[in-house]
Amino acid sequence: MKYGKLILKNVFRNVRRTVLTISSLAVSLFLIVTLATVVTEFTRGSSEANPLRLVTGHAMSLGLEIPIAYQSRIAAVPGVKVAIPYNWFGGEYKDPQDMFANFSVDAKLLREYQPELKMSDAQWSAFVDDRQGAIVGIRLADKYNWKIGDRVTLRSPIYRVSPEFIIRGIYSSGDEKVMFFHYEYVNEMESPFFKDKVSTFGIVANSIDDTTRIPRAVDAMFVNSDAPTKTESEREFAISFQSMMGNFQTFIYAIIGAIIFSLMLVVANSMSMSVRERTKEVGTLKALGFQRGAITWLFIGESLLLAITGSALGIGGAVLLYHAKDFSAMIPFMQSFVPTNETVLLSFVTAVLIGVLSVTYSALRVSGLTIAEALRRVE
Amino acid sequence: MPLPLKYNFRNLVVRKGTTIATALSLGITIAVFLMVMALAKGIDLTLETSGEPLNLLVLRNGSTAELNSDVTRENLNNLQFLDGIGRDGDQPKVAPEIVTVIYKAHKGETQGGNVTIRGVTPMSSALRTGFNLVQGRMLKYGLAEAVVSKRMSDRFQGLDIGDKFKVGSTEYSIVGIFEAGGKTFESEIWADVNSLRNALNRESYSSVLIRAKDSNALAALAKRITNDPQLQLKAEAEQDFYLEQQGPTTLSLKILAAFIAIIMSIGAGFAGMNTMYAAVAQRTREIGTLRVLGFGRASILTSFVLEALVIAVIGVAIGVLLSLPLNFVSAGTSNNTTFSEVAFNFRVTPWLIAIAFVFGIAVGLFGSVLPSVQAARFKIVDALRS
Repeated sequence: MKYGKLILKNVFRNVRRTVLTISSLAVSLFLIVTLATVVTEFTRGSSEANPLRLVTGHAMSLGLEIPIAYQSRIAAVPGVKVAIPYNWFGGEYKDPQDMFANFSVDAKLLREYQPELKMSDAQWSAFVDDRQGAIVGIRLADKYNWKIGDRVTLRSPIYRVSPEFIIRGIYSSGDEKVMFFHYEYVNEMESPFFKDKVSTFGIVANSIDDTTRIPRAVDAMFVNSDAPTKTESEREFAISFQSMMGNFQTFIYAIIGAIIFSLMLVVANSMSMSVRERTKEVGTLKALGFQRGAITWLFIGESLLLAITGSALGIGGAVLLYHAKDFSAMIPFMQSFVPTNETVLLSFVTAVLIGVLSVTYSALRVSGLTIAEALRRVE
Repeated sequence: MPLPLKYNFRNLVVRKGTTIATALSLGITIAVFLMVMALAKGIDLTLETSGEPLNLLVLRNGSTAELNSDVTRENLNNLQFLDGIGRDGDQPKVAPEIVTVIYKAHKGETQGGNVTIRGVTPMSSALRTGFNLVQGRMLKYGLAEAVVSKRMSDRFQGLDIGDKFKVGSTEYSIVGIFEAGGKTFESEIWADVNSLRNALNRESYSSVLIRAKDSNALAALAKRITNDPQLQLKAEAEQDFYLEQQGPTTLSLKILAAFIAIIMSIGAGFAGMNTMYAAVAQRTREIGTLRVLGFGRASILTSFVLEALVIAVIGVAIGVLLSLPLNFVSAGTSNNTTFSEVAFNFRVTPWLIAIAFVFGIAVGLFGSVLPSVQAARFKIVDALRS
């Protein structure tokens, strides 16, 4: 730290270059944090899955359905605490492009299945008692300005029905951008082709041990039926759902890699200019008795200072912006858009590494010159 | 206006490290932009070419995809004898089809995706151009046999000739591999429609493909079928059906491409500015000399901007070269309604390359104008004395 003042002086020697380099670092890190957040939000379903919950769907595809009659048979499997129809309804509200998730469920069992949904007892019972009732997450309610008692019509292109619901409760925590309503209510309206079927059942197991037994027991019951099932943990289900989006994650990581490489070039270029300009000074420092290591560290310190300042601005800016404004509203099905701590930490570490690596070569080269060579250099 | 071009260009060579680093940082920006745009373009092109101009796709009214559609056999009987349908001898050009999906693991992974299986009749391939068997033989109708597209066979485990897969309780044998010139049905498995109906225990079809006699008949048929209250069906030109599907996916990709490109190019632009400011600062005395030799301020300004543009053009060229191999890469994405996988190729088209050049030159200008103005402003005496 005794060279701190010297490093600081060197950083401010060419203010314009420093500002430009820091700005490049800041915008690139902002972009890296943003893209990494797209990935972490996208995979949130698998990283935050409840280990006791399982999902049963059609063995062949989520696009196919299984009979509602399976509910009682699944519920009777040892170790199963709750088995609830949890049916993707695909309802659209006014603008079909502006999608949100909505499920028809067994209202009586929902609270036990998803205890993370927080709502007053009065609202829970109002929802359970009204067949036409629905509950919505607070962020969805805020978005459309829905109040308890409002009537909302969803049109489902899958089931070709347009049921009208009455909002009986607004829950918080969990995924706050989802709407739930009674399975029986919408089932009754559906054509014979879809009636008495569901896309998935949700299961809560009594214990972790049961979660390995249940899938085998459930799937064995239906293996020879017209609608064989596939039961998997909530986490596995989320992962296979995500993998259907194709190699989206790889794609984003490739982009992040390219940004990091490009940033490295930018910082290396800027630092090598600044190192080269000071070749003569290095000669002077050496003449004064500075060792090669100390001189190398002077340059690394300078580069680190740039990297840390740039990343503080870029990463900090991204964190502040995404906390201040909720961008998930613009992305269908995304619960939130907030950088995780790991993202922040990893981006910062990346910036520090860029700072160190990008200057090492030119710093070592210059500090390795003899006094005479360095002093003789004309630029 | 005389320009000291040789002087500027030689400088690029002398300072090759900086030139390359700056060009490369722009090149990577361009490559990333092209990568995302090529993905969007690939999806667009796959869907654009998939519909035949005279084909009409009949779905259940309200369905958004074949997978969640339902056309009864009675419906089919009514459809077959409508006026305006093309004929092959006394056979109407009508193909009732059924669409379902099976889950398969990707090659080399434990995770996979849904593969579309289409139940077809001999008329199905006649109504689609580009169907081309490349290996094995065509399936025999009436048997539990299937042909698989080359792309799906390449992407998923257990979809080669000789492999078997199950639908319901029926086991299908794969007897052939086909290609289809990049159309969406190149992401499918084909089997006999009646056999598949039995396997799925299903009375009805998913969709009916109809070839109209001519474009007038196409419009009339679409109207006739959609407006018939008894049928409860919706007929749409096949081309329109595919065009509607591409909108949301590729639009969000294009927005992503623009977002990334703009932010990255700000970074690259700053890097360029750094380089050019350094170039100007180091050459102050030389600029003074040039002025003494008679080059005016405008000449200095222009020549430095041109110097930067050369770096930009080198950068774009690098970016384009980096992205060209993408043309040989295929990727898969999932259809929003059916959750089944659609494979397509990245496409770096000449039009995209042209956009990349315009874009790179804009970044070059952004990075060079201010430093070049500074260079042009030096007073001769000050410059020489520095």
